[in-house]
Amino acid sequence: MTTETTQTVADLAPPSVRLRRRLPALDILVRFQSLLGLVLVLVGGLVFSPRRHGTVLFLTVDNLANIVRAVSETGIIAVGMTFVIIAGGIDLSVGAVLGLSGVTVATLMVTHGWGTVAAIVVVLIAGLLFGLVQGAVSTVMRIQAFVVTLAGLQVASGLARMVSGDKFININYGHGHGLAPPSFAVLGDRLFGNVIPVSAVVFVLVGAVASVALNGTRFGQHVFAVGGNERAARLSGINVRRVKIITFGLCGLAAALSGVLDAGQLSFANPNSGTGYELTAIASVVIGGTSLFGGEGTVVGTIAGALLLGTLNNILQLNNVNADLQLIVTGLIIVAAAVLQNVAARRRAT
Amino acid sequence: MLTSPTKRWRVLVGVAVTGLVLPTATACGSSTATGGSAAPAGALAKTCGTGKTFTIGFAQANNAEPYRQRVNADLMAEAKKYPEFKITIADGQGDDNKQISAVENFLTQQVDLLMISPFEAQPLTPAVTQVYKKGIPVIELDRQTVGDQYTAFVGGDNQAIGKQAGEYVAKTVLPNGGDVAILQGLTSTTPAIQRTDGFQEGVKENANIHVVAVQPADWLPDKAQTVFDAMLRAHPTIKAVYANNDLMANGAYLALNGQNKVGQVAIIGTDGLPDPAGGDQAVLDGKFAATFVYPTGAAQSLALAKSILVDCATTVDRNTVVPTTVVDKNTAPQLIAAAKS
Repeated sequence: MTTETTQTVADLAPPSVRLRRRLPALDILVRFQSLLGLVLVLVGGLVFSPRRHGTVLFLTVDNLANIVRAVSETGIIAVGMTFVIIAGGIDLSVGAVLGLSGVTVATLMVTHGWGTVAAIVVVLIAGLLFGLVQGAVSTVMRIQAFVVTLAGLQVASGLARMVSGDKFININYGHGHGLAPPSFAVLGDRLFGNVIPVSAVVFVLVGAVASVALNGTRFGQHVFAVGGNERAARLSGINVRRVKIITFGLCGLAAALSGVLDAGQLSFANPNSGTGYELTAIASVVIGGTSLFGGEGTVVGTIAGALLLGTLNNILQLNNVNADLQLIVTGLIIVAAAVLQNVAARRRAT
Repeated sequence: MLTSPTKRWRVLVGVAVTGLVLPTATACGSSTATGGSAAPAGALAKTCGTGKTFTIGFAQANNAEPYRQRVNADLMAEAKKYPEFKITIADGQGDDNKQISAVENFLTQQVDLLMISPFEAQPLTPAVTQVYKKGIPVIELDRQTVGDQYTAFVGGDNQAIGKQAGEYVAKTVLPNGGDVAILQGLTSTTPAIQRTDGFQEGVKENANIHVVAVQPADWLPDKAQTVFDAMLRAHPTIKAVYANNDLMANGAYLALNGQNKVGQVAIIGTDGLPDPAGGDQAVLDGKFAATFVYPTGAAQSLALAKSILVDCATTVDRNTVVPTTVVDKNTAPQLIAAAKS
């Protein structure tokens, strides 16, 4: 079946010839705004990169790998968030779920002596369930996702403090009581000659799988349909409730995965980890061209949005620009992305 | 300028980033003449000596805390004595991941010396170790990473500061004893644990003092106000309250004010910042009975940086403990005046 977003340019073409000439450029700009933005930022990185001994510091393999590593956690969450937002929802609980998952995976291994795989699988399932429950509460009881997940944020952060006993957990590796299995430390390693961080690899894999799920499956089509026009989707036989609940489940799963990665990268779990990550994730999604009204968006855009933010922070830091300005610049980029979308939406409406 | 003993020719290749293939760029590092001489054998720094400029990167844990702002201000003020130093401060924003990025970026920039106050010890350890192993000297300020992969540490002794505050309450504030409450910082943080432990130890000097309530207020004044308000209602006999930082001490003052009990309970704070909103002024205004300075260690750490980078030191003191001072009615005016000059 066809959904609103799968009919793109042809569908949007307005009646007048004059407009038809202008629209494709704007449409391309909006569709690929984050990719274009990322390219711009990368060019900016080249131009403004500090140099030493003729080396462009920004372009060093280490530095580029650092950028991907730095955005991998919020990036993975943003990928999950993309599904929720396309289906017309929002999930504010993700940062707290990250914190909860981190302390849970650490506690299972350090205190209860679990193996790496068992601990990770259980935490991922728990994250999935947490998301599914939020989705169910929101859709079945007809409460706005904003409110349900705001409550979810509080619950997850309370659970995180409870699980950890309100203390941080140092993860030390070895065999025996109070030690985590050394295999868990792999999450903090770098591959391919000690260059590419494992978390970056996971981020890329998650992005690839999610992109296929969104664009190449029936479920993906349903997500777009539900977000584009819920009533129409229901009338055409889609189980709207189920689709929505699953998107929340996927988002919870992504947050839990980020929590596991966080604990693995830091060898440390803190119930307060992930605070505010929901906002960075949502920012990445919005910059990526996904509409907060639902019905349209791409995973690739979100990934580019996350990398754009990470690259920008990197350039500013390499030039010793202070962090306050970084926040302001990020804010301006979000506004710019939203304005671009609005312009496109208005064009489409006429 | 950096004269590394092994001149590095690095071929740098832009990587394909998550499905996005960047144009592959190749840049060759070329060795530039530096004019300076390489460091003598055994020196802690790869490059050192007089007549050069050095970049120092300071990875601060969180600029949003008043104490850390004071550290930054002290460092920049102290840096004026060392024209050869160029200091850059990167804000970790209270987030391990962000601070790790800041450290990685200092490494990318090839700073001559790294200073860091790690937001949390264990998570920052690998990043700091990586810098140290590349031969860049590391001075840790206020908080340490795990293990021994750094050059030197400068900081106060939280346990000792708490203990001194406890003894002050035992001897000076409540010589005849009485009930005491403690407002703790975020319980997952080392300073909160050590200051509280130290205080409990210190008040034992006076057998008539009883600690009747210990509650965390997460370093925050508003939370401290709520918590202390409840404590006062549950234990009307409280005669003194010790707060792990001055912000919470301020919250305690607001709670007292709300119950019209100002003057009936002695407030003891920690930090002793000389800024207008800091604890020293509160002591001067009579809001706090006393506060205990948590020293920034700015002067000591830059002196260490000088001996490493300029004097080509082969060894430095690994641990520099900066002692605390008590701020009471007598010492507050001069501390505030000194900070203004």
